[in-house]
Amino acid sequence: MKKWMAVGLVVVFLLGLVMGASAQKKKVSVLWAEYDGLTPDYAANLESAFEKEYPDIDLNIISTPWDKMHDRLISFVAGKQPPDLSVIGTRWLLELMDMGVVEPIEQWLSKDLLNNIDPALMEGKIKGVLYGLPVAAGTRLMYYRSDLIDKAPETFEEMLQIAQKINKPEEKFYAVGMSGKKYVELTEYAYYLFGNGGYFFEILPDGSYGKCTVNDEAGVGALTFMNDLVNTYKVTQPGVAAYRRDELQDLFISGNLGIFFSGGFTAALLEQRGAQFQWSVAPMPHFEGKPQSTIIITDSIVLFKDSQVKAEAAKFLDFFYSDPWRLEFDKLVGFPPVTKSLANDSFFQKPVYQVMIQQIPGAKGWPLMPEWPECNDIIWDNIVATFLGEKTPQKAMDDAAQEIDSIRGM
Amino acid sequence: MRGKFWRTESVVAYLFMVPASVFLLVFMFYPIVYVILMSFFRVNKLGDLMSFSGWANFRFMFDKPEFWQVVLRSCIWTAIAVAVKTGLGLVIALLLNVEFLGKKLARTLVIIPWASSVPISAMIWQWTYNNDFGLLNHTLRVLGIWKNPPIWLAEPGSAFAANLWVDIWCGIPFMALVFLAGLQAIPQELYEAAEVDGATSWTKFRFVTLPLLSGVLTVATLLSTLWTFNDFNVIYVLTAGGPGTSTDILITYIYKYAFQYLRFGPAAAMAVITFAILLTVSIIYARSYFKEGAF
Repeated sequence: MKKWMAVGLVVVFLLGLVMGASAQKKKVSVLWAEYDGLTPDYAANLESAFEKEYPDIDLNIISTPWDKMHDRLISFVAGKQPPDLSVIGTRWLLELMDMGVVEPIEQWLSKDLLNNIDPALMEGKIKGVLYGLPVAAGTRLMYYRSDLIDKAPETFEEMLQIAQKINKPEEKFYAVGMSGKKYVELTEYAYYLFGNGGYFFEILPDGSYGKCTVNDEAGVGALTFMNDLVNTYKVTQPGVAAYRRDELQDLFISGNLGIFFSGGFTAALLEQRGAQFQWSVAPMPHFEGKPQSTIIITDSIVLFKDSQVKAEAAKFLDFFYSDPWRLEFDKLVGFPPVTKSLANDSFFQKPVYQVMIQQIPGAKGWPLMPEWPECNDIIWDNIVATFLGEKTPQKAMDDAAQEIDSIRGM
Repeated sequence: MRGKFWRTESVVAYLFMVPASVFLLVFMFYPIVYVILMSFFRVNKLGDLMSFSGWANFRFMFDKPEFWQVVLRSCIWTAIAVAVKTGLGLVIALLLNVEFLGKKLARTLVIIPWASSVPISAMIWQWTYNNDFGLLNHTLRVLGIWKNPPIWLAEPGSAFAANLWVDIWCGIPFMALVFLAGLQAIPQELYEAAEVDGATSWTKFRFVTLPLLSGVLTVATLLSTLWTFNDFNVIYVLTAGGPGTSTDILITYIYKYAFQYLRFGPAAAMAVITFAILLTVSIIYARSYFKEGAF
């Protein structure tokens, strides 16, 4: 009996030790975006490598598809259970600041890490305070079938001429990809709008946003051209309203599209999946007489005010931004490096990175405003209404601008 | 009396009820009350109540023509889906109630859509509907049934029908199994007596099966109505309310306002309206159920 009691006591003691040890571990949660091209292995390896280096920290990477990131993060925050760190689209930052949940991050970062980030990419710096560390940044560009198209079109008008030549719907080959189903943000319209010299809002002298301008000449012209591609010339894949950006990407990778606009991640996927055709990249086309411009998208990683483990979260950032992990990450997601130490790496000398970097000077970002998710949906719904023949481009954009101004109290 | 209470075993019963009661209060009643409060308050982006706003959130929704379209669509969606699920569920239950070779296999196959997770089923259907790689349009073309089938999720009408079918597909097994259980509870002697009286299959169904199944029918259709009205998964996965807003129903509309636009006040007002609609339906059902003397 005594023997059994002794064994029992030892077991209890050992259990206590184990439980005590795990209780002492600081838990760091990271809401992690699953970018196209990023593998689940990467997050799992990152987590285990970090925990191996910091055995006193229990890292929990919560992997989330990119198109679910916003809603999931908001659910966490609204439920008063924000993660310690989260990847965000930088344009969500004002929304989060409006909620008062993000922490100025600079004070928590090591000098080595801060000095290693290109200051030009610090879009998460609002009124001189850094809230978001850039995690990915890149301009959008044009992918085209170089085995079918000799010279990449520089203007949308040229693109239309090429499209009419290569379009073969009877063979399920479509000249231009167009997505009409919501997938986070309406990049598709931004390509044509920016290429027509337009923007979503007028920019006031103090840098703030004025009235919505999607119903001006540039905005309506962009939608008219998109609608002509879909309904007049029929050079897009049929049923554009059913395609999300990622589904369109699959269509291009499977060889069913001639021209497709996307980010660097598509290049990574084309290589990963071994595309069976020749492809190339070129700057985003623009309308004749208008300056070349495309959208630049930056994502950031933010620290939350309620985090009880800010120092430990900063350690994770140091670890993730170290060259080996960032290099693998950048390769998978297809964005140019945000760290200076990788800028000259031979991998990033490929055309896709060169084109992305070349376009930066004329590129425009998303509007930084808390109401943007709703404005985004309003514009998108009106674009789809145009594609479906329910509204003319002018009426659709007038309706969108009116509703957006009303929401913003203008 | 007080002393008697503490002496009797009822105290134990109440003690056993405490965990469930606390659970209900915390996870059911508190959120319901909070959402009702939110609908009458200006709410910040964290869901905190800021100031009393009366009916402002309701007025905001009522002024939107799109809101009324969504309400109407929710009612049409529920009415069609429940009617088809009930009809087909009853037919399948009647077939499964007959002795035939492979009956067990048939019952297993029928239950599969119910046993599967709804989001996964919806994803499978999303691939099935795909115009380029999907099984449905490929089959229709290959068999020569439809040379140019629609791109199901691209047009408002076909997208609504496609969503509706998936909801029906997921819901039929529940109805079939409940009806089957009801059918098996009907005494065989009643059918034998009817046969002696010269009843045909139809008259047996009309005057024996249907009356004795009415209680089960009422409960099953009520449950189905509540679930279908609130079916978020199918629409969210298949079309996310699109193209445009053409397949939005109240529950997806609430989600957009709450978690995409962070406008918790109008979202709460819509949730209260949904609650009121479903409560009304439930009360009507319950009154008719008890009036018929099912209990």
